[in-house]
Amino acid sequence: MGKNNRNKAEDLNTVPFKTRVRPYLIVAPSLIITIGIMIPFVMAIWFSLTNYSFKLPNHKFVGLKNWVDVLSSGTFWNALLVSLLYGIISTVVEMAIGMGVAILLNNLNNKLSKILRVLLVFPLMVAPVTATIVWQLMLNSSVGIVEKLLNVFGIFNFPWAASPNTALMTVVMIDVWVNTAFIILLVLAGLQSLPKSPFESAKIDGGSAWFNFINLTLPMLKPSLYIALLFRLMAALQEYAVIFALTKGGPGDSLMSLSLTAYQTGFRFQKFGSALPYILVLWLIVNVAAKQIVKRQRAAQKQAAGLEE
Amino acid sequence: MKKRLLALTLGVSMTAGLLSGCGGGSNDTPATTPADNTTEAPASDEGTDTPAADNTAAAGEFNWKAYEGTQIDVLFSEHTYADAVEAKLADFEALTGIKVNYSSMPESNYFDKLNVELSSHSGTPDVFMTGAYQSWEYASAGNMEPLENYISDASLTNPDYDYADFIPGVIDALKWDCVPGHKVGSGSQWALPMGWEINILTYNKDVLAENNLEAPKTAEELLNVAKSLHEFNGSGTYGLALRGTADWGTIHPAYMSMYSTWGAKDFEVVDGKLVSQVDSPEAIAMTDYWVQLVKEGGAPQWSTYGWELAGADLGARKAAMMWDADRGGYTQNVAGASAEAGNLAFGMIPYPESAGKTEADMKSNLWTWSMAMNADSSKKEAAWYFMQYFTGPEFMLWSGTEGACTDTPRQSVLESEAYKAAVADAEGYFEAFSTLKDTASIFFTPHPYFSETTTEWAKTLQDLVVSNKYSSTEEAMKQLKETMDAIVSDLDVE
Amino acid sequence: MNNGKKRLGYAVQNLLLIIYAVFALFPLIWMFIISLKSDTQVFTTTFVFTPTLSNYKEVLLRSDYVSYMIDSLIISGGAVIVSVIVGVPAAYALARYNFHRKEDLAFQILSFKFAPEILVVLPLFMIYQKLGLYDSYLGLIWVYQLISMPLLIWVVRGYFEDISVEIEYAAQVDGYTWYQIFFKMLVPLIKPGLVSAALLAFIFAWNSFTFPLILAGREIQPITVAITKYLGTDTAHYGQLAVAATVSAVPAMIFALCIQKHLVRGLSFGAVKG
Repeated sequence: MGKNNRNKAEDLNTVPFKTRVRPYLIVAPSLIITIGIMIPFVMAIWFSLTNYSFKLPNHKFVGLKNWVDVLSSGTFWNALLVSLLYGIISTVVEMAIGMGVAILLNNLNNKLSKILRVLLVFPLMVAPVTATIVWQLMLNSSVGIVEKLLNVFGIFNFPWAASPNTALMTVVMIDVWVNTAFIILLVLAGLQSLPKSPFESAKIDGGSAWFNFINLTLPMLKPSLYIALLFRLMAALQEYAVIFALTKGGPGDSLMSLSLTAYQTGFRFQKFGSALPYILVLWLIVNVAAKQIVKRQRAAQKQAAGLEE
Repeated sequence: MKKRLLALTLGVSMTAGLLSGCGGGSNDTPATTPADNTTEAPASDEGTDTPAADNTAAAGEFNWKAYEGTQIDVLFSEHTYADAVEAKLADFEALTGIKVNYSSMPESNYFDKLNVELSSHSGTPDVFMTGAYQSWEYASAGNMEPLENYISDASLTNPDYDYADFIPGVIDALKWDCVPGHKVGSGSQWALPMGWEINILTYNKDVLAENNLEAPKTAEELLNVAKSLHEFNGSGTYGLALRGTADWGTIHPAYMSMYSTWGAKDFEVVDGKLVSQVDSPEAIAMTDYWVQLVKEGGAPQWSTYGWELAGADLGARKAAMMWDADRGGYTQNVAGASAEAGNLAFGMIPYPESAGKTEADMKSNLWTWSMAMNADSSKKEAAWYFMQYFTGPEFMLWSGTEGACTDTPRQSVLESEAYKAAVADAEGYFEAFSTLKDTASIFFTPHPYFSETTTEWAKTLQDLVVSNKYSSTEEAMKQLKETMDAIVSDLDVE
Repeated sequence: MNNGKKRLGYAVQNLLLIIYAVFALFPLIWMFIISLKSDTQVFTTTFVFTPTLSNYKEVLLRSDYVSYMIDSLIISGGAVIVSVIVGVPAAYALARYNFHRKEDLAFQILSFKFAPEILVVLPLFMIYQKLGLYDSYLGLIWVYQLISMPLLIWVVRGYFEDISVEIEYAAQVDGYTWYQIFFKMLVPLIKPGLVSAALLAFIFAWNSFTFPLILAGREIQPITVAITKYLGTDTAHYGQLAVAATVSAVPAMIFALCIQKHLVRGLSFGAVKG
């Protein structure tokens, strides 16, 4: 089989049928197991064209009514903006901090960094909803420890999630706390896998540390950065657990993201048909973004491979 | 004699329900007269659609063992009321031989779960917990079984059940004729109360005394006291704890109580349509007052406050007063429950003197956790046995005194010496209940989009308090009226 | 000459790391402190208090906590095992073979991870009711494949791509069968990547909330669904919630500590090449 693999470029017709279908057969179970999801997906598209509601015993076809209602409402555009802001800001901050911390952990090969490599993963292990409740307690203006710390610096009654001006910052901060560990893990792993030889020859050439970072480390690290970015951005665009646990989308509409609006419309207000356009648009955005990132990741992979040789 | 009187009362109040019967399992409501059932096979292992008399007893005679061997499924929200039921499940199973498959969910996601379960029409759970507001949605969707015919059926209901013993305002809150815009109190009995909450002022006696303040009785006093207690115990402490999150939880307790006391209405029926009244002069004046109350006397992070944080602040001496469900204050006052336990006392509804209101105008909007039967249940009789046992006088006396469910919906429990002794430590609590029970009601206009309209309402309050989105309360309330009207626009009110 | 500057740089780097560590670890420490506080002390903001184990007793001994944890373990563990059994061969095929529409297929698998939970959960609920999978371990393990399978396949695939094809040929020439090569040679080579992907998959499955809430939650209640119970229904018992949260993180922490060495080295080959 190894041979077939090597000769794959040769005329496919000479390859026995059994061998040709083998890869599909091997991949099939994983597809079959997950493909069940396509059924709900098709159902969801259908429901988005009906007035499906828990409150009505039956539902009927309403055409594009839900779509027109949703897309023509201010709620939708506000939700789109909140989702994009939340997804992009939290991902950028997490990528920046995660990269920085990973580089520090990698550079400082001391006892501290060895212990922190394990400890810094722990925030990932507290379920987001619970983490949010703990943060809510800490940020509370009357009983919170953070408030007491800020008082030392002369800051009193910082509003955190209670004001539309600081609410987004607050949920992003909690998201950063929970998820930066994921980036740290992936980037640190990427750093540790870098081959030694290009750096050794650079040392001989006498390049500055900064020069080496920009011209060697970064390009070779790119594939793993893209993977981290891919998984993080996709999840952040869809996040609603933190927002819901902290403010239920308030104050006002300031944190009503696409998925939170869909959740509220579908499950709380029980209008499933009207909830679906929000989530289908979100799905489309996520899918397009994912395709772009995967494409770049593949290209970076090839480029990095060139550098390594 | 007593029985006949009961039947008569029921008969009168139920007729309306039968005539208007909405959605809920109208074709499988039990026969009105027990005699009709004699030909029916008794339900033992599986319930039948119509309740049947037990085969071992003459038709018409109630027998706790009639549905022995049946298994029913119960889904409750985590609550003290639910804990009390769980504690006595074994007694019920021993008495009836009915097996109860009991499960409970945390309150935060209970309704999400229940909505999905009911929408599948799978018949489970047979019995579930609901509030009155939610019952409007479930009744309209046909998810709930009307209960009046079970209550009036002597072959199905324990003669000691004493339906007339429920506090009228509470039991009426769970009746509705399914016409949006029609008030609660007529129509089918959709659920039976497990407990109920009035929304009253709780205050820290110690803090008020320290600051030489009297417990406020009027809205004006409340605002002054709350203002003057700003930072009474250091930075971040404040006068009055209130809920403020972006959902119905913010509207229904204190806000709606004061709104109604002020004389404002949420909806009126105009030309066969529900029309929001939140832009009426009373509504605007009241909301204006409310916003000022929150801004000057409320928590700095009010818009993130649910009952948990409001109660926590009161119990931790971070808030001097709280206006919320009586339970919230009561449980903070139980020894060991909070740092301020023992220091709390209860007031009533601060009424707006400036709007010409007096003590007689005090209105507490009420909340009642109650149990309802799934219209798709295939074990309705056994489910009914469960419901009557756990809303019956014997269980409720125990739960109201020893079972920590101090806000009892039964008159006989409220008047018992054991109950008075049980709540004696909570100053003003018994007085508040005995005074407000006659006027407390649900002051919302029933309609199936309740959670949607109240969420918008709460968001408007948030915007008024924490943002500059609106230049005046009037502008905000006018905008809110339009939003609410749009939400209910597809409802027809005969 | 440069020594002073270097030392300063070293100190600054350590300082920055410590600052982040405080941010990342303080909430966990605070959560642990709260778990040791009684209801009357939980809102004090000092570090001086009388520690009590009453919250631990209440949660671990007087509630169904153990059964929630067991449910979580069965579902998350089961999901990861299924993903490994089915996903590793798929990852191998996607790495080694070149076939028509391979990249599309790989992307398709990845996209399952991004299917919005809210979108699929209600139709799935209806299907599960019909199939009898509602509120069952099997049903949850199945739906958790959306969480664990794409991650596992994409990470492990990178590891397979990293292993030189020549090794396989050599073994083949030596007369080993394909199965022997796969299990005796390749699996040990990808093991580091496998355990690290499995850990991440386990953590994500463990933290999953919407799926178990809607698709189970009656007989089977994993800890994420049950945990807000501990917040209480009379007063808010933040101490008990903190206990529940602290203890629920323990299995993943043990998992992480056990495979700690593999974790960093492991990811170092794999995800990068994804």
